[in-house]
Amino acid sequence: MKRILLSMAAVVTAIALLVSGCTKAPVSTEPSQGTNKETAAADKSTNGPVEVTYATFRVGAHVQAPGEKIMLEEFNRLYGDKIKLVIEELPSDDVYVNKMKALAASNSLPDVFDGKNGVRELAIANGTARNLLPYLEEDPEWKKYVGDMAIKANTNEDGNLYSISYSQRIIGYYYNKSMFEKAGIKPAETWEEFMSNCEALKKAGFTPFANATGENAWTVNLLLGAMIGTANEAGNKLMNEKPVTNFNTPEVINALENIKKILTDYSNTDALGAVYANAANVFCQEQAAMIANGPWMVGDFTNPEKSVEGLDQRLGVALYPNKGIYSEYDPGFVLCAKDDNLEEALTFLKFRTGPFSQKTFLETAGSLPLTNNIELSEEFKAKKPLVVQHLELASQAEYKFKTLDVIADSSVIDSFAKLYPELVFGEIDAQTFAQKLTDAVYRQK
Amino acid sequence: MKVKKRWIIIFLTPAVLLFAFVYLTSLYILVTTSFTDLTAGGGGNFVGLKNYIELFKPASEFWSVLKNNVIWVLLQSTVHVYLGVIVALILARNKWYTSLVRTIYMLPNIISNAALGMLFIFILNPKFGLINNTWRLISGNDAYMQNWFMDPKTAFGSVTMTWLPYAGITAILVMAEMTSIPDSIYEAAIIDGASQLQINMFIVLPLMRNIIGTTTILAASNMLQKLDIILLTTSGGPGTRTTNMPMSIYRTALIDNNYSLANAQGVFLILFGLVAVLLIRKIYRMNENILG
Repeated sequence: MKRILLSMAAVVTAIALLVSGCTKAPVSTEPSQGTNKETAAADKSTNGPVEVTYATFRVGAHVQAPGEKIMLEEFNRLYGDKIKLVIEELPSDDVYVNKMKALAASNSLPDVFDGKNGVRELAIANGTARNLLPYLEEDPEWKKYVGDMAIKANTNEDGNLYSISYSQRIIGYYYNKSMFEKAGIKPAETWEEFMSNCEALKKAGFTPFANATGENAWTVNLLLGAMIGTANEAGNKLMNEKPVTNFNTPEVINALENIKKILTDYSNTDALGAVYANAANVFCQEQAAMIANGPWMVGDFTNPEKSVEGLDQRLGVALYPNKGIYSEYDPGFVLCAKDDNLEEALTFLKFRTGPFSQKTFLETAGSLPLTNNIELSEEFKAKKPLVVQHLELASQAEYKFKTLDVIADSSVIDSFAKLYPELVFGEIDAQTFAQKLTDAVYRQK
Repeated sequence: MKVKKRWIIIFLTPAVLLFAFVYLTSLYILVTTSFTDLTAGGGGNFVGLKNYIELFKPASEFWSVLKNNVIWVLLQSTVHVYLGVIVALILARNKWYTSLVRTIYMLPNIISNAALGMLFIFILNPKFGLINNTWRLISGNDAYMQNWFMDPKTAFGSVTMTWLPYAGITAILVMAEMTSIPDSIYEAAIIDGASQLQINMFIVLPLMRNIIGTTTILAASNMLQKLDIILLTTSGGPGTRTTNMPMSIYRTALIDNNYSLANAQGVFLILFGLVAVLLIRKIYRMNENILG
């Protein structure tokens, strides 16, 4: 018995040592200095390429997967002998966010990762995200391509910058010019005209809007956000505030009432519960006249597997009524590298947010670059006029605002998919909906 | 005897260690963190019963989640098991259709829940789904449109129908147990003039008590684990109409980032499961010998 107890004690000790060995040392959030750097450099010279961990959801059928592949190939070509990227591929946005949250809870986030959907905030909260401002100041060339606007947009309340954006998002809505012509209408300038346009399209035998309330209710929420953001100054302020703490406002309630009408009378019949792919399919197959979405969708319009032939020729892009447009910067990439591979992780971050990546993602996925320093080639302009139109519309807009996905936490965004069906079927009214969104704000931890 | 004891220890140690490190440690962490303020961003300070009070306060959504779960456990423990037993009794008669029906009835049980979920999304699709199209054909009403999963009046029933009728596992287990009944018992009953119904009611079913109890436990506990098919079909909506406890735990942990509140729900889920199992064992008197 004594022998068994001793054996068990040995096993427990071994496991304890193993666990303590795996525990990570606290990380400095400042750039590393002096002797540490020298020791690290000495180690690196003897141990081959330094590993940098990176997580991505831009794989498989993701619209940015081709750009990601080109970017990674180019990085490996340039730095492969010194830096070895250890990539974790996660098959969807949801899987990615859930995995990153779990890793954040155990302080084991990758060295570089996309800080979308609140992941950046978790890295800031657990103290692993590095302040990137000093590194930007050290490298004016990199800073030039990131741009002051993107830096300002992502600067935290404490004055630090915990992520670097990789693209700006300008989002209007696409409309089918042939259907508009047949219905005798043009893009609306007011929301009243917008609703009457929907009625005219319906009378002409077309489904006005391609929508989906499932997942993050992307297309419907773009309409909702545009209604709020262009309603008046208060609505516009709400759509530029982060995080929003109160949705129970007249602008939100009024917009929700309009959305109820749109989902009931002017959307594809399977919009409730459908996912984004359904809405995109409805629009690309010319079964609906409008869809709210950004320039990254342009590639789908010329893809014969997704769209009817020649669809891109029959499409236009418009400002939301009251001259509104979404204009924001992606949260971008966060750096959580430890001191021993900081230099290499920073090299990758610079490459991922630098000119080559921005240009690659513009050309392959329609992601708009952060500054005008990335010039659009004449060939690109001729090939993708809808992307160019998005940029032109941004300069004409009177109201600019951010998407709900950026200004609200995941608890709020998750609530939309549950509440839209209740709103449409009359189980709750717009005010209750708005109150439930406000309640969701306080559920987020 | 000493050698035998040593071998018992050697063979049991890996399983015990595995259980201790995988389950017991997890359980310990689950229970202890349910009394803290642990979130995805940090925390972990002791807060006493705060999470449990939050869970059971009158306005908490957890009440409707709990109600859904109780209804599903009851339906699965009764209707689902009843259907399985009936199918087993019919198929045990070994007719020409037995093999075919048994295979078809088992199909939903061997398909992955993800595939089954997708299947139902298509069958119940309001626009092109089989159900709506069939009704349009029968009624002649081309405008008929029912969103089965998203209409608050039909959502719960629609989700329930993705698992309730498919009791293939129950049927197979009951049929297997029925083969252990000696032929002499059937022969004696037939000689005494018992009808097929009487044989089933007074001989087969009483002898099947333990296996029916076991399948009831399996069916009930299955309802405490369901997540994938709900996530695929309704994500727990509209509102909380189709949210069960696993779905609520998933949301609280991974959407709201509130790990400690999710863990409090996890502790309650385990207790709920234990009570359900004990109750079923008691109802079916599973500790007692069937033959008295």
